[in-house]
Amino acid sequence: MKKHIYKYLIVAFVAIVLGACTSTEADQKFDQTPTERLNAQKKELQDVLLSSAEGWKAVYYTDSTQLGGWTHLFKFLPDGKVDMASDFDEDTDIHRSQYELQLGSTVSLVFTTANRIHLLSQSDNFPTAELYGKGYLGDFQFFYYGQQNGEIIFRSNRNFRELRFVKATAKDWTDLPQNTPIIESITGEITSPLFRLLEENDGSAIKQYEFDFNSDARFGRATALAEGSDETFGLALSYTPTGAISKTPVIIKGQKLSNFIYDSASNTFVAKGTGGVSATIKYTNAPPRLTDDYKKLTDGQPQYVLGYLAANLYSASTTSDYFRSIIAKTNASLPANQSISRIQVYFNSGGANFIEYRFNGGRPAVYHNFTTSSNDTSKTLLLTSDSWEDNAGFIPAPAFLKNLDAEFFTPGGLYVKKENFTVTYTNPIYTITSSTTSFRMTTYQL
Amino acid sequence: MKILKRYKALAMITASLLFVACAHEDQPGESQLDYSERDKTELDKWIDSSFLDPYNIKIYYEWNQNLVDNTKYLFPPTVEKVQPALEVVKKIWIDSYSTIGGKDFVKKIAPREFVLVGGLNLNTNGTLTLGLAEGGQRVTLFQLDYLNRKSCPEVTEFIHTIQHEYVHILNQTKPFDEQAWAKLTPSGYTTSWYTESTATSRSLGFITSYARLNIYEDFAETASVILTSSKAEYAALLAGVTDVNGKANIKKKEAIVVQYYKDNFNIDFYALRDEAQKNTDIVISN
Repeated sequence: MKKHIYKYLIVAFVAIVLGACTSTEADQKFDQTPTERLNAQKKELQDVLLSSAEGWKAVYYTDSTQLGGWTHLFKFLPDGKVDMASDFDEDTDIHRSQYELQLGSTVSLVFTTANRIHLLSQSDNFPTAELYGKGYLGDFQFFYYGQQNGEIIFRSNRNFRELRFVKATAKDWTDLPQNTPIIESITGEITSPLFRLLEENDGSAIKQYEFDFNSDARFGRATALAEGSDETFGLALSYTPTGAISKTPVIIKGQKLSNFIYDSASNTFVAKGTGGVSATIKYTNAPPRLTDDYKKLTDGQPQYVLGYLAANLYSASTTSDYFRSIIAKTNASLPANQSISRIQVYFNSGGANFIEYRFNGGRPAVYHNFTTSSNDTSKTLLLTSDSWEDNAGFIPAPAFLKNLDAEFFTPGGLYVKKENFTVTYTNPIYTITSSTTSFRMTTYQL
Repeated sequence: MKILKRYKALAMITASLLFVACAHEDQPGESQLDYSERDKTELDKWIDSSFLDPYNIKIYYEWNQNLVDNTKYLFPPTVEKVQPALEVVKKIWIDSYSTIGGKDFVKKIAPREFVLVGGLNLNTNGTLTLGLAEGGQRVTLFQLDYLNRKSCPEVTEFIHTIQHEYVHILNQTKPFDEQAWAKLTPSGYTTSWYTESTATSRSLGFITSYARLNIYEDFAETASVILTSSKAEYAALLAGVTDVNGKANIKKKEAIVVQYYKDNFNIDFYALRDEAQKNTDIVISN
């Protein structure tokens, strides 16, 4: 038995020794080792980054399903420094920072100290509530995927989006600041109309879409206005000195339109095809979808009280900047400890209609009596001034309320809409919107 | 027996062959990967002479995805912001401990790595992570780009982060009296500390709401809040706590902290606080 054990042991031992001699070397499929290839890739990327005299341009769409694109210009220097400019905001100046080509599973370009591209990756600066804590989903580490037609192809580290660097020209650098007025045009000012439309013209007929555009996100969603249609699509925009470019084109009669040119005369962005085909982004004071809610406030209806409470509704999403600016100006004309606390509009209250202005700081309330009429074509409610009162009796119209109060009495009338959200309390929210200015007040139904 | 001898001999020969077979292995040489470092900038040299050489602390300010949480939307600091922030760290944290605890105190017990992040670390529950201490070795400091050295509240918050994380590192070297601490306010700890107001937390015997996460955060918060407050500020804080029990418990915790510094490091905690305050004033006024 012992003899056998030794025999087996020896056989096993020899087998191991012989096994150790087996060649484990695989056939080389490449001339170079993986390490050599990685090093060569790094050198190749370094060389190409430095090769372009005017640097590189990249329009970075971080996620074109919800965000637009930001134009970046890069000039790489041999000592690990990079000059960069972007149209993220009005600061289109060139800033210098550091970059590095890092080796990992592949070669990546990393912007290692903060510069303009990092503005897309600030956790606390996000354009929509869905992106809370995620900024603009931007990255600043890009994996190198080679070159094609003189372009460098990268993919972002975090979410694997393709980013292409194209050779920049001297003109690209001088053009970049000219994106700013275009961005301001599409963003609008506080007096710009509150709503946007996208109109598709196929050469014979016009189809309208409500265009819900977020200027910070550079993204808009178009929803067809035609009865019974649920057609919807997104436009992810980037900017040029002449207009906006949509990452995904608008398709009309088989024509792909993506280059929207800004027309300052009409304040519209128009993408033109052939044969009268075009797509137009334009402003409108009239809400694209009108409601019949104004009818609840006309004569003979039950009492309705719609109240703006400054403490809760000043910062509501539907309160317009223009409304806020008028409130601020009115408050500024009052003594330092006084301000508007409430604007309550009473309809059919004991047969009367009036606006009650209430104040903080002990100032007594004043009341503006009015009568109503409506326009069923434009679906607006018109207020007509009657008289002013305070708790003691009739008074002349208070001068400090003139501009604010006039917004309610616009001859074009007011749009009234019951919104589908609440703020702090369970009371239904109604908005009162001017048909002629960008005045929109958010109220509770009290 | 003879057979056994023969096998023994055979086995010896095979074994020696095995060893010989290894003798010609190539020894590992230098990495073939190109890890050549770029030339040091003025900032790199300043960091080396201010942190690496005297205190054996490595500072990472350039982005390295392996040192941060890549699921968060963070970004590296702006180069120009690095030195001013590190000067604050050096003056208020290192210099204070060096003066009171001895020249080499920080060199002996310190995080070996500092990772600097420019942006805020905003969490989806709305809280902000100001700093992280991992395994006692590495401290990550956030929102460097937003530090205004002239602003007392900002400098205090920034230094609070370092003081807080450093207390964790001290605790990992020498544990505090956890049993005594745990008996003081056992029912006040909660994972949803961020929904609690500071006033409520103080009335329950916690110096901040974050202190309510667990006893280790409680200790670090108690020590670091005292270290970043002047004597008068801390007295005012205590005076604001109307709940008698709450105030008594904060004071008991303070006593454990003071004793911990004395017993383990022979440091007069109040002297350390005064030194840190003096250095904070110098930073803000310069």
